[in-house]
Amino acid sequence: MATLLETRGLKRHYRMGASIVRALDSVSLTVEEGEFLALLGTSGSGKSTLLNLIAGLDRATEGTLRVFDRDLAQMSSAELSLHRRKSVGIIFQSFNLVSTMTAAQNVALAMMFADVPRGERDARASALLESVGLAGRQRHRPRELSGGEQQRVAIARALSNNPHLLLADEPTGNLDSRTSQEILALLTQLNERDGKTIIMVTHDPALADRHAHRTVTLLDGQILSEHAGARQ
Amino acid sequence: MTFRDTLDLAVRNLGQAKLRTSLTTMGVSIGIASLAGMVSLGVGLQDQFVGRFTKSGMFDAINVLPGADQPGFIMGGRGRGQFGRRGFGRSGAAAQAPENAREVTDDALKDLAALDRVKEVYPNVRVPVEVKYGGDSEFMAAAGVPMSARGEGAFQSIPYGRFFANESENACLLSLEFARRINDRSPGSLVGQELTLHYAAASASTMPSAASPAATVQQAEIKCPIVGIVERETGPFSAGGVSGLMIPLPKAKAIFASSIATAQALMRDPTKTSRPYMSAVVRVRSPRSTQDVEEQIKKMGFAAYSLNDALQGAKRAFIILDIVLSLIGSIALAVSALGIVNTMVMSILERTREIGIMKAIGGSDGDVRRIFLIEASAIGCLGGIGGVALGWAVGRAINFGANIYIQQQGGAPGNLFSLPFWLIGGAIGFSIVISLVAGSYPAARAARLDPIQALRHD
Repeated sequence: MATLLETRGLKRHYRMGASIVRALDSVSLTVEEGEFLALLGTSGSGKSTLLNLIAGLDRATEGTLRVFDRDLAQMSSAELSLHRRKSVGIIFQSFNLVSTMTAAQNVALAMMFADVPRGERDARASALLESVGLAGRQRHRPRELSGGEQQRVAIARALSNNPHLLLADEPTGNLDSRTSQEILALLTQLNERDGKTIIMVTHDPALADRHAHRTVTLLDGQILSEHAGARQ
Repeated sequence: MTFRDTLDLAVRNLGQAKLRTSLTTMGVSIGIASLAGMVSLGVGLQDQFVGRFTKSGMFDAINVLPGADQPGFIMGGRGRGQFGRRGFGRSGAAAQAPENAREVTDDALKDLAALDRVKEVYPNVRVPVEVKYGGDSEFMAAAGVPMSARGEGAFQSIPYGRFFANESENACLLSLEFARRINDRSPGSLVGQELTLHYAAASASTMPSAASPAATVQQAEIKCPIVGIVERETGPFSAGGVSGLMIPLPKAKAIFASSIATAQALMRDPTKTSRPYMSAVVRVRSPRSTQDVEEQIKKMGFAAYSLNDALQGAKRAFIILDIVLSLIGSIALAVSALGIVNTMVMSILERTREIGIMKAIGGSDGDVRRIFLIEASAIGCLGGIGGVALGWAVGRAINFGANIYIQQQGGAPGNLFSLPFWLIGGAIGFSIVISLVAGSYPAARAARLDPIQALRHD
């Protein structure tokens, strides 16, 4: 398997008044293409910080972060937005849908930034929503959808520009256990059937074990342990 | 992101906050209306005053007088704006005549006509005649009018009848004022009737010569059909000078040449072959050359004056008036520009999370900036259109009211507000530019937002 992502001595430090917060302190990690990786850790362990760096939403203080053999530290902000647009799809705990737009419009918005023509955009948004089980819910606005449905819209949106890498930040954090199972089943399907590489942040070890190939546990910004999951 | 998509998104966003958008747009409309209204007033007033003068053909005309004759206008009249219809006194004529002073003779007219950029030269000929109509008679000066005056100055509007058909036509034009003295009820009915002009002529046998110094007087009589009536008397700068009775120039010249006054003048100075004219009018090809030609004429030994200086002064005054009016109008626009800034800042605060989402799914800083700039310019565009419409409506209303007042005061109604196409386009364009300027700070702020911070925002 080819290496999709590689970090070497990755650091992210914040200045907070006089003190420095080491949110991420010298993390070295490799992720293979097609892998389902779980980042496990308590709140403040640095797992979300790492995910944001990989997403290109934040910049590292030190170290290298290569995705598809390109160093994110060297990218301009325009290149980073291109990285977010084309290379990764992000799924948040709080869904982060535009509340004034319908499900279809939310999915199409990501393609709008990628200059996909209108007709193609609408057709693809419709097909994606159908594929995540939301046929017939396309004209609904987020507040007319359940949490699970909203997260499905977010997954459809993350898939819209066909990225290789999906980043999920506590995707089931706001969902009940049955809906959580459905969402995780969907992610697993995307990993198995479509070959998407998935990095998922979670604080639930059982969940990580059940769905991921590999679990990396972070503590205080450093990698504490690493072990294979049930699917390995 | 294509322009079309950005525009769609911006319009959509504006539609999400309809009340705020329409209030801001209304603010811009009021600003643009006040600015466009003020400029429109400036333009309208300028059209009313300068435009009317310019069209009268008075600004390509130079009045030429004998060099010994310094008109008072040059000495004291200029710059005080006292150029009324008959405001050119000769009170200041005490100035010294130049050494090469010339008189306005036929030869002099030929020299003047030979100057560069001169279109036409004709003498101001006014001959004293006794006018008989019905049982009444009146002494007045008949002014010689060249054919080129057709459609210009006082001859722009001929309410009754027509202008002279040709320069040898035996015909006369009356001013409305004079026509009313003859027939107050229906001055127009005078067209087609005949006036009899009497003047004192030197008899042909006694026309001047050194041999016979005495001239005998004989009454000459011309029957002269009235072909038209003009609204106002000719002004001092237009062909023929001020007069209620106008005849073709060659006819006036003929009367002038054969008059007893000419005979007497030639008798006093036997070296002359013809009597010089009081003054002449030099018309230049374009009002731009008036100044230069006037200088040349002065160098030739004549006195000369034109309204050009007054026009320059008036234009300068109107430019200053326009600037002052624009500044007053700009105050409201400045306030509405702040309204745009306020609306956009509010909107960005409200949509911080949305901006974060857009950035997280691949929107660049530039995309975000463009969305907000287009929102601002859409407000500007709508506000500009609304402002022009509002300005037009208010202008019409004020115009309507003002014209009622003007007519009550006996003035002629006119457009105090003028809304030419350049002003409409300019106002809308300016509105968009102002909105872009006002929107650029909020847009830059939105573009700079840190996506992680923005996503945490509630």
